[in-house]
Amino acid sequence: MQEAKIKFDHVTKIFETRSQTITAVKDYSMEIQAGEFISILGPSGCGKSTLIRMLDGIIDTTEGDILIDGVKVNHKGKKMPSSVLRKLGFIFQQPNMLPWYTVRQNVALPLRVFGLKGPEWDNRVEELLEMVGLKEYADAHPNEISGGMLQRAGVIRAMVHDPEILLMDEPFGALDEMTREQMNMELLEIWEKTGKTIIFITHNIEEAVLLSSRVYVMGTNPGRLVETVTLDLPRPRKLSMITQKDFIEYRQLLESYIGEIDLSKIK
Amino acid sequence: MNMKKKVTSIVAPVVTFLLIFAIWEFACWFYKIDAWFLPKPSEIFRSMIVDFGEYWPHLLVTLQCVLTGFLIAIPVGLLLATLITSFPLLNAAMSPYITFLVTTPLVSLIPLLMLMMGYGMNMRITTVVIQSFAVINMNACTGFNNVPTLRRELMQSMGASRLQTYRMMILPSAATDIITGLRLAAIFATTTCISVEYNAGNTGLGSQIIKYSQYLQTTKSFACIFYVTVIGLIMYGLITLLQKKIVSWEE
Repeated sequence: MQEAKIKFDHVTKIFETRSQTITAVKDYSMEIQAGEFISILGPSGCGKSTLIRMLDGIIDTTEGDILIDGVKVNHKGKKMPSSVLRKLGFIFQQPNMLPWYTVRQNVALPLRVFGLKGPEWDNRVEELLEMVGLKEYADAHPNEISGGMLQRAGVIRAMVHDPEILLMDEPFGALDEMTREQMNMELLEIWEKTGKTIIFITHNIEEAVLLSSRVYVMGTNPGRLVETVTLDLPRPRKLSMITQKDFIEYRQLLESYIGEIDLSKIK
Repeated sequence: MNMKKKVTSIVAPVVTFLLIFAIWEFACWFYKIDAWFLPKPSEIFRSMIVDFGEYWPHLLVTLQCVLTGFLIAIPVGLLLATLITSFPLLNAAMSPYITFLVTTPLVSLIPLLMLMMGYGMNMRITTVVIQSFAVINMNACTGFNNVPTLRRELMQSMGASRLQTYRMMILPSAATDIITGLRLAAIFATTTCISVEYNAGNTGLGSQIIKYSQYLQTTKSFACIFYVTVIGLIMYGLITLLQKKIVSWEE
């Protein structure tokens, strides 16, 4: 079997505050192959955001290892090396644009930070702006364009340094239903074209089924892996599929897992 | 519509200005108030122009003291704030004393500083710097500490260095708070400078206000006070200009 692109090996994260100790993620393991599109599904407080923040070096792990391409990337208290971070692109829940930069400058920000210069990178910025229809707005400031456009800018900012892996933290959760559906379909197109590995965090069951090949269901208290569901649905996925029998069955299956979690919480 | 709004925004305050001074003028004339008690505004404005040669050197001294002190206080305040917010230990060690500096009326230090440094420009500027850097520092600290977590995470996700994070994200995030600090510091600087001049030496508008008051030359006293206002307006204008240039994205 081929080596996993991303591997979580019994990862635990404990936050210690003044008054209490919280186990945000407990003994979490998963393996993701290159080019897969997987979702991590769970209610708020299940540690799913913590999980990808550990993968992106934003927070430390307490126990366990995280491996990318077989190389251990988490070293306690040490910044993740640039060579690892370049393989990753992070898309936040909000657009998280820096308001003093234009859209183009925001999109190109990772290039500046990583020190990637030259015409080929400049061209890449323009191509990405073109791809998501932001070319005309490239010189506008973030407060001048709509929420949907901003989130598109956030997506291509995460892609500008050509990472192999995209980490998405409920990226379209703040958008209205219609924009969200459209963005999801655009995301699938991008994925099919580029073959990037995508980890998609969501609390929306339908979204998880529509997009991913596999869903990791997480539960709360402590945040942990409850179940892994592989989705055997044809690609390319289409919005019309949500009314089909297979789709609905998967949705109900996932609902049952989420439901069990809620029950156990009451006990 | 927009044009009309613009005209209103200029005309309305001018009318207020004229109205206040008209009432003042009328009251002085109607109640026959003595000029040594409350001079007519027309007399004050006349003196501001006619006796300008008398005021000019002092206006220059005060302006120089306020501006120099203020311009030294900015880098001192910002640098200190940067250091304090970058190192938690330093923050813990320093922050109570910064509060002391802001809350202690430094005017009470003036006699001491006079004793140590004499009446000259150095002592005046030092006092202005001490009084105004603290408030710049305090506001900058607030700005640096209130940077949104998501923006920090964005920089971390790219592995940005401390310097990159500071230059690209922290400093611009804090710009609005820093400008607020500068505005307050400008007021502190002017107030402190005038207070020093009340006490030290015989140059500067503050010293002239005292002198003319003692001689019952109230008109000239008022003329000096109005020139202090002009200095305040210059400072305010400079900062507004700076604000437009620096935080233009907020419009």
